[in-house]
Amino acid sequence: MKVLTLLAPRWWGFRNGLFFGGRRSLIKAGSLLALAIGFWVGIYVIFYRVLRYFQAVEEFGDLLAYKLLTMVYLTFFGLLIFSNVLVALNTFFLSQDLEIIHATPVSIGEIFAARFLDTLVESSWMVLLFGIPIFTAYGLVYQASFVYYLGLVSVIVPYLILAAALGITLTMILVQVFPAQRTRDILFLLSLLVIILLFFLFRFTRPERLVDPDAFASVITYFRALSAPASPYLPSSWASEAIWPLLRPSTVSSGFYQGFLWVNGLASVVVCAFVAIWVYPGGWSKSQESGRLFAGRFLSLVPKQLRPKKARRSQTLALMGKDLKFFFRDNTQWSQLLLILALIVLYLYNYSVLPLDSVMGSTFYLQNLIAFLNVGLAGFVLASIGVRFVFTAVSGEGFSFWIMQSAPVSMRRLLWSKFLFYLTPLLLLGLILTIATNELLQVSAWMRWLAPITIFSMVFGITALGVGMGAVFPDFKAENITQVATGFGGLLYMILAMGFITLVVILEAGPVYILFMAQARHHSLSFFQWLYVGGSILLMVLVNIVAVWLPMHYGIRKLAAYEG
Amino acid sequence: MIRLKELTKRFKQVTAVGNVSLMVAPGEIYGFLGPNGAGKTTTIKMLAGIMRPTSGSIFIDGLDLLKNPIEVKARVGFIPDRPFLYEKLTGSEFMSFMASLYGFNGAGREKRIQQFLELFELAEWARELVGSYSHGMKQRLIMSAALLHQPRVFIVDEPLVGLDPKGARLIKRIFNRLKRSGLTVFMSTHTLEVAEELCDRIGIIQKGELLAEGTVTELKELAGQEDPRLESIFLHLTGAETESTEDISFINQENSSIP
Repeated sequence: MKVLTLLAPRWWGFRNGLFFGGRRSLIKAGSLLALAIGFWVGIYVIFYRVLRYFQAVEEFGDLLAYKLLTMVYLTFFGLLIFSNVLVALNTFFLSQDLEIIHATPVSIGEIFAARFLDTLVESSWMVLLFGIPIFTAYGLVYQASFVYYLGLVSVIVPYLILAAALGITLTMILVQVFPAQRTRDILFLLSLLVIILLFFLFRFTRPERLVDPDAFASVITYFRALSAPASPYLPSSWASEAIWPLLRPSTVSSGFYQGFLWVNGLASVVVCAFVAIWVYPGGWSKSQESGRLFAGRFLSLVPKQLRPKKARRSQTLALMGKDLKFFFRDNTQWSQLLLILALIVLYLYNYSVLPLDSVMGSTFYLQNLIAFLNVGLAGFVLASIGVRFVFTAVSGEGFSFWIMQSAPVSMRRLLWSKFLFYLTPLLLLGLILTIATNELLQVSAWMRWLAPITIFSMVFGITALGVGMGAVFPDFKAENITQVATGFGGLLYMILAMGFITLVVILEAGPVYILFMAQARHHSLSFFQWLYVGGSILLMVLVNIVAVWLPMHYGIRKLAAYEG
Repeated sequence: MIRLKELTKRFKQVTAVGNVSLMVAPGEIYGFLGPNGAGKTTTIKMLAGIMRPTSGSIFIDGLDLLKNPIEVKARVGFIPDRPFLYEKLTGSEFMSFMASLYGFNGAGREKRIQQFLELFELAEWARELVGSYSHGMKQRLIMSAALLHQPRVFIVDEPLVGLDPKGARLIKRIFNRLKRSGLTVFMSTHTLEVAEELCDRIGIIQKGELLAEGTVTELKELAGQEDPRLESIFLHLTGAETESTEDISFINQENSSIP
């Protein structure tokens, strides 16, 4: 019963947040629900259409659908393990309520059970939410009976338990090696694991081979490669094997793999419980010890002009210098640079393996089209990095925000210093993504200029939106800064940033097409075409200016009025 | 030096501070006393420019805080009740940062930072992250940073919370020294002995209203109390005397859960 008592604050907190927050929190919850439903429908439609298309492919359409299923399960498993480790680190070692919990007469076993369930729910709900439309699409396309849906529940439940147990066990072991208070090393390790995982996922699925049957010696080899399971030791393979017979007639038994998943899921909980009871009390105790924390390891990375002696002349430089030190001393911040690096590598790798030569039609046209669309894609990448770093910049001041409020610093100066701080790295990243991709695609001379110039102008808007929206929706009391990025404000930032990027790309598309076709056909532009091109460019410039000015202006006003 | 005119702060239906008017002369230490939830911290936050009043005005050093927030804040040193600091900066970096924020860029800046760190016994920890400091050390660091730019007004919320006896004695010495040099101090406290020992005048606030103000002698006369201690004057004025007669016998009644 104490397990339920331990879980009660979670439920009460959720309920109170919903009903005691007044109309605003209900509107927030309603908007989130609407967005989730929209996303849900979107995923469902995409998968439904893809699966229908696969069904139309003779001979190996089913194999493609099966392969996609294994990819989905494999991706989910990777995400689940990562999310479980991160959540378990918080629920078992870093959460603020642990001090009170451990001071009460509750056994370690009960605390473990409660925190296990807490971790399981917190790290699984999102994967489950996004999984439902995918599995529903499979069920409807293959006209599966209710047995499929029952089987689905029977597969997903042990699958989630297995991932949670593995993630928690891994955390318990990691905390034995590194103290939880100094999570830098753990997060460093986690980031590396994610990079490795990403590459593994990529290698396991080998998507480029699916569109290139010519690379195989024969059709038979191709079929064999498609039908071979990813790895018999991966739970994702067991889940796929358990589900597939419920969709199509198969030689393997669904019951065997379902049983296999349940046995392994429950066994992993037992192993996890043993490990936890054995090492958790020591690990928790260790996490309370805070030794002397020496600084300065990363000071050598700080540009000389931002170091304290020079920074003292200007408030803006002092603010930027502080943010720079924060960034390199906060493990949750700098360790994500590794992930961004992996993202860039994967991003560029994707462009390097594009099978443009095997596609019929004008390769030159296609290369330039892709390079143009890449501007939008690079913008989306910058926006998703922006939501994690730039949007959270104001909230990152945390409980110390009183210093800014009571110091003779205007909120205008504070926000513009943050804007300048994040502008440079985002500009650099945007330029790398566009210039390197252009090189890989071997685009025309003017596209080599157009893409970097467009991304250069968009980065100002993406950064200002992040800083401004972060100031409109600040959360100085967040226990974990990543929660700020995934909140309502973060979601709104992503929607607005993506809307802004799309608008710029659409406005540019018309003139680019006209100019491109005129060059290809050696025509000159008519007066109206020049008018259209000029008007679109003017409108684009206006959109960029508004995207910088409006959020910054509104953010400054909101932050100046903040009284938390 | 400090003038509050009909200062009011409302949170929806609740009036946290209602029509508070008071004046603090230059070189005076003014103690702001009141039970929990009386409106002390709200008043202090408005004085520090963290919170905007619903109505009324605040003048510090002759300047209207609402009209000239930056100029006023440059003249003020503020210490909140809870020492939330930048945990990822070292003690000396925090001091340098605060000096830059307050535009204290004079030639003797580094020397003054060092002097304060030594005075508050933080020099040994100056190159270590604030995150590894104890509560008392953080409180001392905030105190150092607030005094660094030579403010004319010092606003302190609970100055002695979390300090050991040695630290508390140091703060008392510093306050007396500041007073002699003409600095005005506005402080809220629960520690009545501190208020009695340090403050020239005391204001007692309850339910957002200023009940009484004056020297300890004036308050004693106002309360008409035989007992000369500030505690009994405070309890009498805030009407808290009667509460101590409540039945507390249930605290150690029979049905204990301990086997």
